[in-house]
Amino acid sequence: MMMESPSLAHMASQNMDPAAAGASAAAALKGNESENNMTKGSVSKRLQQELMTLMMSGDKGISAFPESDNLFKWVGTIDGAQGTVYEGLRYRLSFDFPAGYPYQAPRVRFVTPCFHPNVDDQGFICLDILKDKWSALYDVRSILLSIQSLLGEPNNESPLNTTAAEMWDNQDAFKTHLHATFQK
Amino acid sequence: MAAPINIQTPSKTWELSLYELHRTPQEVIVDGTEVAVSPRSLHSELMCPICLDMLKNTMTTKECLHRFCSDCIVTALRSGNKECPTCRKKLVSRRSLRRDSNFDALISKIYPSRDEYEAHQRSVLERLNRLHNKEALSSSIEEGLRQQARYRNHRVKKPTQESDNTTFSGGEDNGDSRSHLSHDSAPSNAPHPRGQTPPEAGPSRKRGRASDDGSGPEADSGSPTPPLRWRKEGPASEIELVFRPHPQLVQAQDYNQTRYVKTTANATVDHLSKYLALRIALEDRRTDGEPEDRAREEAGGEERGETEGASKSGEGSGLNNVSEKQYTIYIMTRGGQFSTLNGSLTLELVNEKYWKVRKPLELYYAPTMDQQQPQPAQQKSPPPQKEG
Repeated sequence: MMMESPSLAHMASQNMDPAAAGASAAAALKGNESENNMTKGSVSKRLQQELMTLMMSGDKGISAFPESDNLFKWVGTIDGAQGTVYEGLRYRLSFDFPAGYPYQAPRVRFVTPCFHPNVDDQGFICLDILKDKWSALYDVRSILLSIQSLLGEPNNESPLNTTAAEMWDNQDAFKTHLHATFQK
Repeated sequence: MAAPINIQTPSKTWELSLYELHRTPQEVIVDGTEVAVSPRSLHSELMCPICLDMLKNTMTTKECLHRFCSDCIVTALRSGNKECPTCRKKLVSRRSLRRDSNFDALISKIYPSRDEYEAHQRSVLERLNRLHNKEALSSSIEEGLRQQARYRNHRVKKPTQESDNTTFSGGEDNGDSRSHLSHDSAPSNAPHPRGQTPPEAGPSRKRGRASDDGSGPEADSGSPTPPLRWRKEGPASEIELVFRPHPQLVQAQDYNQTRYVKTTANATVDHLSKYLALRIALEDRRTDGEPEDRAREEAGGEERGETEGASKSGEGSGLNNVSEKQYTIYIMTRGGQFSTLNGSLTLELVNEKYWKVRKPLELYYAPTMDQQQPQPAQQKSPPPQKEG
């Protein structure tokens, strides 16, 4: 009976405080009202479609899921690709979808600190497809895959992190530094 | 994903692959043969790659022949680069596009009722949400409770109906049944029948007795598996399971009871273990602190509502203690061995992997030996901001 409900809430919401989740949902709803509902609706629809494809694709090494009940903020994870210095490291990223998505790129940022020539200390990523090379056809999945491959193949011509760019040529030193400083 | 493909030479002579050189048109079917096409493969053909929805007012790029909804491609060209979103071929203006009314006609032929298709899509998305959205999950639980209440009323009208031995994981927290003892974990020594009898309803008492005569699980926890039915309700599948203490690891007198749990198939072993810890913690409180409640429950009295108040006061501390004790969950393999289940497995997977038969899953539990905390499948801990 009444004992049932707290336990269930526990089961349903995993580690989240159900009350907090409810509050964030309410906040999201309020936000929706002030926005253009038409655009918001079509963006939601596309994001839901993406979520469905992403979950059915079962890609190894990448994943993404809405952060809470707000479909416009996602958390993604990338596992460093095999054979790269990033192998064995898992990075979390945040996705922030603008109302103009998919015509505008989402704001993507490393949440897990990432030592990489094209990632700055705030986690911002220098990647053309997130800037001027964005196309409405890119989606969360392709972004994650692009970033995953960027990890192993940085563009050292325009580094955000010059230390990392200089160290890149010495892969052993880079790997040692990377793993020594890695923090979840 | 679309990679820029610019293999044409400036003179626009096309290099054809061997396949392209030798391919022949598909034969037209004239003899009434039916060809089955999977909806999924069809969907990718009829989908706009921008909105991921079915093409609406199809526009095709004149040079690279990629299709988009009119609205989608116009918005894309206005807000982005003047290139084909699919292949980055330059699209100077709207004049680089043409209306593809043939394609629209094709779509309306395949889906004469677009509304129907959209309704179907909505239902798919809703199902997805129900399965994976926490808020939606809790609302679907509420819905389940409402249905349960309806079902219960229904049963009151038909007392002869087979008694439902399953527990709705959503609990009994809705209005008309909140004063009932949860029945999935009633201690074996309590002869109290199923707790679903609405206090005010006479006929339900009759039903209660009926389940006493039959195989009410709580009446005799030592009995073999009661005739639970494997049921699927709605699109979100549910799993019923029988939960017993591990016969080798748990002392006979410790939580000597069989539990009946019904939950969604996407709950994990960890969820189950947490649920169990909470239940046992709460039960311990009840047996330690409020023995008179038991007596009252046994009397089957209407004043069980008061019990609720009493246990509510104990609930807070009970919840706090839960994390102290962890439970490991086992399943019996074909050889009669007990095998530990990984916490991140969903019950659906456990069912598929170990159980397979169409009867409720049987699991065993025992307190975890080393008190090691099983890691929940998804842990959320925002990492600290890094300075450099």
